[in-house]
Amino acid sequence: MDESQLDATFAALADATRRAILAKLAHGEVTVNELAQPFDMSLPAISKHLKVLERAGLISRGRNGQFRPCRLEADGLDVATDWIEHNRQIWTDRFDKLSAHLRELQKTPSTKGTPS
Amino acid sequence: MTATATPEDLGEVTVVRVFDAPRELVYACMTDPKHLTHFWGPTGVSTPIENITLDLRIGGVFETVMVNDATGDEYPSKGVFTEIAPPSVLAWEEPSGMANRSTFVDLGDGRTEVTIHQTNVPAMFRAPEARAGFNSSLDRFAAYLATQVG
Repeated sequence: MDESQLDATFAALADATRRAILAKLAHGEVTVNELAQPFDMSLPAISKHLKVLERAGLISRGRNGQFRPCRLEADGLDVATDWIEHNRQIWTDRFDKLSAHLRELQKTPSTKGTPS
Repeated sequence: MTATATPEDLGEVTVVRVFDAPRELVYACMTDPKHLTHFWGPTGVSTPIENITLDLRIGGVFETVMVNDATGDEYPSKGVFTEIAPPSVLAWEEPSGMANRSTFVDLGDGRTEVTIHQTNVPAMFRAPEARAGFNSSLDRFAAYLATQVG
């Protein structure tokens, strides 16, 4: 899997609503209407999330019928198993940056405030 | 400076880091948008200060929208503070139920150890059984999840 696909997948998984949608789809095919209900979201809002998930290869949508049921894509989800590692990486990155920020802060005279 | 990742239990992620700074300052950095904007986005991702909403009280919101530097894609996240005890504990919960609890320990030599402990990590992302499901058949994964999700 190339880097851009990985980015798309992780970007898709970075959103809590989209993770919840995937969890719901794990039970089987669901239509957009059925998805929108529990999330208390408009159909366009849900559709936007589904497009991101589809682009990331995490779901596919039926071509037949007006409801275009959504289902999980097992291949795309292989990457999702790495979510925990990705999540850990986010915090590792944050802490790297926080370390650098703290060094800057402690170099700066307190009257000057936060460097930007 | 050290970075340690401890093995996680089912549904839990722990990240530990020691910072060369006093505890009050580290705590301030984690709770003030003017500091968070410097480090909240991981590599290649920024979090402009206007994208950070932080209402530091129990039940107050903690919302961020991270922006991908290359593509402009936005990654919103939302939480509600559940525990605020400066300068030692800060916790928030996401709508998915995932909880983030940070503890700040004064090491007594000017350094501070921060531990981020995440619990209730969504079932589909966490278990070896789920991984097996991802890797083999979707049916198996769905069957596993059916036992985990109400």
